[in-house]
Amino acid sequence: TVHTSLDVVDEKISAMGKALVDQRELYLGLLYPTEDYKVYGYVTNSKVKFVMVVDSSNTALRDNEIRSMFRKLHNSYTDIMCNPFYNPGDRIHSRAFDTMVNSMMMQVC
Amino acid sequence: PPPNSELFTLTYGALVTQLCKDYENDDDVNKQLDKMGYNIGVRLIEDFLARSNVGRCHDFRETADVIAKIAFKMYLGITPSITNWSPGGDEFSLILENNPLVDFVELPDNHSTLIYSNLLCGVLRGALEMVQMAVDVKFVQDTLKGDSVTEIRMKFIRRIEDNLPAGEE
Repeated sequence: TVHTSLDVVDEKISAMGKALVDQRELYLGLLYPTEDYKVYGYVTNSKVKFVMVVDSSNTALRDNEIRSMFRKLHNSYTDIMCNPFYNPGDRIHSRAFDTMVNSMMMQVC
Repeated sequence: PPPNSELFTLTYGALVTQLCKDYENDDDVNKQLDKMGYNIGVRLIEDFLARSNVGRCHDFRETADVIAKIAFKMYLGITPSITNWSPGGDEFSLILENNPLVDFVELPDNHSTLIYSNLLCGVLRGALEMVQMAVDVKFVQDTLKGDSVTEIRMKFIRRIEDNLPAGEE
């Protein structure tokens, strides 16, 4: 699911074309729904892509909550990049990041 | 305007991680950081004395105050608190609630014995040596290792009588 959605992200980015230049972050919204999942995308001006997969049965989750979750992820990601021991591209092994993700998940589940 | 603190933190981080790549074990990195700190300290003291205009300290308690309230404030923008004086007045602790060197840093599991901020110990040791004080400085608590605060223990060893020229390690 995640891999397919990355293709959709790329499609959306190329489709939006000029609009990209004006916006610094791109909340891509719902990428596509499947039977079991809803997939949301977010791209930064540094071309880092965040993909969020949400169970379809979760109808309570609102658009602005998802935007704020992406913003939190983006901020935590920036902090991780500042860890001198982190090599860009590595799998993320950060206590701070895990704590933030867990608390975010607790809020929405 | 003062330079950005993130650049400072990232620069220090780059230094430590490069040392980790160059030396194969944490212990050697710790020693190098101490050495580098020492070389900074023996030079920084001149700048410090010129800028702060403090006079000679009469005892180790005064030294502690000057280090915590003037030196740390001047160079790192923080004011550690002074605690845990030994009965003889020759040992005390500096408690740092936050340490700008370690912003955003998380120690990976394979570097659990790394004393990330060890440069600071060398700086203090080198600086005090230039004012005729031989001290021992070490970290006893570290937020990077899960402790709630960072604690540096400083111990006065002896007065240095000979006026040798600036040391180098």
